[in-house]
Amino acid sequence: MPKITIDGKTIEVAEGTTILKAAGQAGIHIPHLCYHPAFPPEGSCRLCLVEIEGAPKLELSCSTVVREGMVVRTQSEKVKEARRSVLEFLLAEHPLDCPICDKAGECKLQDYYEAYGLFESRFRETKEKRSKLVPIGKRLILDRERCILCTRCVRFLLEITGTGELGVFERGLHSEIGVYDGEPVDNNYSGNLAEICPVGAITDLDFRFKTRSWFLDARPSVCPLCSRGCNITIEAHRGFPRVELKQRVYRVRSRENPEINKYWICDLGRYSYKYLDENRVSYPYQVSNGRKVRLSWDKVLIILSEKIRGLQVRNRTERIALLLTTALTNEEFFLLRRLFLEELKVSRYAFSDPPPEKGDNLLLTPERTPNRRGAKAVGFDVEAKLENLGGEKIDLLLIFASHLPEAMPLSWLQAEAAEIETKVLFTSHESRLDPVVDFVLPVAPVAEKEGSMTNVDGKTQSFSAGLPLWGESLPEWKVLVELAKQAKVNFRYFGLLNSIRAINQAMAEETSILSRNP
Amino acid sequence: MDEKVLSRDFEVSHLYQIDTYLQRGGYEAARQALRMKPEEIVEEVKKASLRGRGGAGFPAGMKWSFVPKVDKPKYLCVNADEGEPGTFKDRFIMSHNPHLLLEGITITSYAVGINLAFIYIRGEYERIAQRLEAAISEAREKGFLGKNIFGSGFNLEVVVHRGAGAYICGEETALLESLEGKRGHPRLKPPFPAAVGLFQMPTVINNVETISTVPLIIKNGASWFTSLGLPKDGGTRLFGVSGMVERPGIYELPVGTPLRKIIFEYAGGVKNGRKLKGVIPGGMSAPILLPEEIDVPMDCESVAKAGSMLGSGAIIVLDDQTPILEVLRLVAKFYSHESCGQCTPCRIGTSWINKIVRRMARGEGRKGDVDEIERLASQIKGRTLCPLGDAAAMPILAIVQKFREELEAALR
Repeated sequence: MPKITIDGKTIEVAEGTTILKAAGQAGIHIPHLCYHPAFPPEGSCRLCLVEIEGAPKLELSCSTVVREGMVVRTQSEKVKEARRSVLEFLLAEHPLDCPICDKAGECKLQDYYEAYGLFESRFRETKEKRSKLVPIGKRLILDRERCILCTRCVRFLLEITGTGELGVFERGLHSEIGVYDGEPVDNNYSGNLAEICPVGAITDLDFRFKTRSWFLDARPSVCPLCSRGCNITIEAHRGFPRVELKQRVYRVRSRENPEINKYWICDLGRYSYKYLDENRVSYPYQVSNGRKVRLSWDKVLIILSEKIRGLQVRNRTERIALLLTTALTNEEFFLLRRLFLEELKVSRYAFSDPPPEKGDNLLLTPERTPNRRGAKAVGFDVEAKLENLGGEKIDLLLIFASHLPEAMPLSWLQAEAAEIETKVLFTSHESRLDPVVDFVLPVAPVAEKEGSMTNVDGKTQSFSAGLPLWGESLPEWKVLVELAKQAKVNFRYFGLLNSIRAINQAMAEETSILSRNP
Repeated sequence: MDEKVLSRDFEVSHLYQIDTYLQRGGYEAARQALRMKPEEIVEEVKKASLRGRGGAGFPAGMKWSFVPKVDKPKYLCVNADEGEPGTFKDRFIMSHNPHLLLEGITITSYAVGINLAFIYIRGEYERIAQRLEAAISEAREKGFLGKNIFGSGFNLEVVVHRGAGAYICGEETALLESLEGKRGHPRLKPPFPAAVGLFQMPTVINNVETISTVPLIIKNGASWFTSLGLPKDGGTRLFGVSGMVERPGIYELPVGTPLRKIIFEYAGGVKNGRKLKGVIPGGMSAPILLPEEIDVPMDCESVAKAGSMLGSGAIIVLDDQTPILEVLRLVAKFYSHESCGQCTPCRIGTSWINKIVRRMARGEGRKGDVDEIERLASQIKGRTLCPLGDAAAMPILAIVQKFREELEAALR
């Protein structure tokens, strides 16, 4: 392993490491624009030039591989001057329309100017006029004045999606990014382009002019829309005093995870976030003669625990049935198993997941629920069909639909409704099921709770809440623990499960699921 | 020494036809080479100190020896994208003696273990490309190209590929990209083309004149070749003299002939008896030399020592009536027009300079413009992805530094 010295720090790095990466390992940031860790070095922005002792010229840190004994300076006057020079060139032909640019606040060019530039403009010539509103895809707008020609977008489409919709056209100062005639960017990963664009050249119609990046709080989460479990950040508005915003979430972006989604997410995961702020169930209620009767959670828990207690006393817990979807967390499946299958000896349950759709060969899986593997690992038969609910009369049907109530078997429910005494729907979203059931109880979708899920490749990931809870909704795990406690089912056991951490520990002891705490 | 070797027979009529070429001893060197061991050829060319005639002046034999001995297809690309302003020697070779080039290609390919060679010729040379293609089919008919050449078991095909008009495609890696059917953007080096070149395979890229010189070395030996020129820079070169001289044209002269001698003895001196203002010694990207600097011997090292470069050996002579601002305007315009646009300093630096110079040429120059041009050029120099940045910055720096007073006089 070669030893090198960067800015006086001597470190040992793996053979074949580039200077830029080695510096990163030593905690030294070398500014760069065209370089992206997902692609081979391009070497065109020239911002990452560094001084190597003994080399006649400044060298690219993004492409130069370290050699034993190399001495690198990233802060020498020569390097600083070269950086300023590149920034000066880029800004000379840049429109400087930051006040109306969506990238402002998270723009590399802006950040680097603050960090390494801070010069007066010396450009006294006429800037090139270029088109600023070029639709290059369904959701993407290209501003050619802001473009710095790093070609990250072109390379993304060549190397990651293999679709190659974008290219560089014309030459020299007239070089510009564009699509080939009549073939706009059209793939399920197009949203990544706005994300990897280091400046505001490619903006996302979905986000364009909606808010400013500095009003947003970015919190980590995991995407629940297929079984890949891509790592995401949910970006929600912090809000303004005395102003009610129509939405909380303004954007979902990819979060790097080399083992799962690398740097990318698909457009389904990126643009579906509106469901988090739309058609939500805000409070628990009872459906009584077609009317909503609002209840408090306390009241709901009393009603349900009494019901369970009553069935237990009469030895009729067999009359409880569960209708599930594999969108719950491992912890919730574990609690369902412990409480219903084991303590209450419930044997009837069925899964009703959305039917598989077309996946792509990159990230999106055909399966559209996030935790089929987890449900299985906890001990559920995820193939259990509605027929399993037949037999003895059902007194209490608990439907855990998460954010997928529309996937629940509506016609079956309508047909059986009269037969089933109490039908309780735990869901985050309003649906056609609501009038058919007796209780609608708001629970948290994955974005709003902590827990863990096991993805299509069997990788278990923990996550924390990316958003605060909506209205009066509660995460299912909390409801389940409360229900167990109030129904006095094995109080000594459930009484201790007052946090995800505690449930996790219990789960680790009793199942094969190993999950790190968030 | 006035003996022509490379262009010896160029005045023979119909030399481009294979029968004429054969009558003048054509393809003898190839026949001889194919009986040699490939390593011997490489060794001989190394000993001959044949330096690249395209511009960079890299020793050809050494370039060939960098090609790894691996069992992969290897390619030869002859760079005939003669685009450097002032340069017109390769067209001279190809139009007069295409078979000499083909013979050189055969020897080089055999020496390096190549079975497919490309001639990347600039698009404007349409008729020369046709002439090359005719020569290739003549050579194939005679069995000098194709399968089992001269019964040696060696196979070689040559393909002529016409460029589409970008100066940058003369840069070797941009040439490869273009040949692969992509946009002519230079590649990041390393890896060098000798290891990873055309279609990711080991590739030799040499200039037309370089390759055309190879048969002479094989026929006459390395020591003959170095005795023509210099020990470290052998042979003769085709110097293309243009501009304000009495007799512009191509002059084949030994490497190391003094620049003054070329201009004043061979090219007949400055036109109409005017005074010399400056000389660009190696194509437009070579920094200009002042009249007092032209005693320099025309070999790679000496010209470099004089602060310029031998480049393609294209000598552009300026007389005292040439306004230097006009020279600067043409240089700035050319590089700004031809910058491929890939890397920042070249894309924006050259056009920024061009914008200033254009303004100056309109009579709207401002105080500080000359310093600004100098500053911008030095911000390009040494910082670009390919040599085009230096090719633009160095002549501009030289003009600004050597003719500052005249330029500043043009400012308001």
